[in-house]
Amino acid sequence: MKRISFRLALFLALPFLIGGIGAATAQTMSYADAISQLAVACGADLQRYCKGIELGGRLKACLDGNLGRMSPQCQQTRATVYDSISRRAAAQRNIGDICSADIARLCDTSHADAHLVECLLSVSPVAMSPQCNQTFTDTGWRTERARQ
Amino acid sequence: MKLHHIYAVAALIFLGVLTAAMAQNQLNSSQMANSLAGVSNTQLSLTGAQMRQAALDNIRDYPGSIPPHPLSFPQMANLAQFVVEVEFDFNSSVIKPSSYRTVGAIADALHNPILLSYGFLVIGHTDSVGGRAYNIGLSQRRADAIRNALIDPFGVNPGVMEAVGLGEEQLRDPQHPTSGVNRRVQLVNVGKKYCFGRSGEQFQCQ
Repeated sequence: MKRISFRLALFLALPFLIGGIGAATAQTMSYADAISQLAVACGADLQRYCKGIELGGRLKACLDGNLGRMSPQCQQTRATVYDSISRRAAAQRNIGDICSADIARLCDTSHADAHLVECLLSVSPVAMSPQCNQTFTDTGWRTERARQ
Repeated sequence: MKLHHIYAVAALIFLGVLTAAMAQNQLNSSQMANSLAGVSNTQLSLTGAQMRQAALDNIRDYPGSIPPHPLSFPQMANLAQFVVEVEFDFNSSVIKPSSYRTVGAIADALHNPILLSYGFLVIGHTDSVGGRAYNIGLSQRRADAIRNALIDPFGVNPGVMEAVGLGEEQLRDPQHPTSGVNRRVQLVNVGKKYCFGRSGEQFQCQ
């Protein structure tokens, strides 16, 4: 009885646990992976409803405007893809500000920008503040470096 | 200093991979970043406007339906660069979904920390189908479309890229001027810490 209720509680809590962990630690995708997922999931819908619309123009607005007509797979992928792209872009843009205290504490700040990234790459994640660590993860530079 | 040596070695290692990969037009972002990183200290003293003018002059000076004399920029020969093929709708600057991945990979490369604070040219080339002057305009619109996509959604700093269309004035395979290999995009690293102003002038970033 006790064991069942524990299992039930765990089962009920699981989506929240996974959701919570996911929100905090989900990796952003590379831009190439993200946008090719969109091309695969939404390619046919894009040809149909957004033909002639530029990737660097109103494509996202067109997807949003025609969402009800898009396939369920495209609707779902579109949200994940644009979330990942904007999260990675924001992290790459704001890393210097968000990690400024960490950089001052952990790095030789007399060096140029590229070397500060090298410094953050060399620092153990546990030595970084959680927000700086998460933002640095979102930049994708750890996984990019691992692939090189 | 040491890091630069490491990158130089990495660039050499990737050169081999690059040659094989280019044949298949499957450059990934790491290969792109590394091919853009083997940078010399020389700064390109050539603006996009000058390149456009040189392409138009080439049509005037060497008339013909196919360029009898290829346009060349010797100043660019030693600069770090790569070439990829991006597919567009016919006679249009709309990038096909099949090429989204390539544009995303260019964005990944330009965001790579080893390329922080460099300036880049995004150069568009066409094949020989269509008039030469028209193709300069078409390749300019296509280069602009790629630059626009790199800015939004992919968040590349607009100040570090200039788009230039050279039409069919630099065919990659002059023996087969209508071949698809001529339709391509060339990314060139023009030097450290240089940004472009609204009219293409270069200045020190930051």
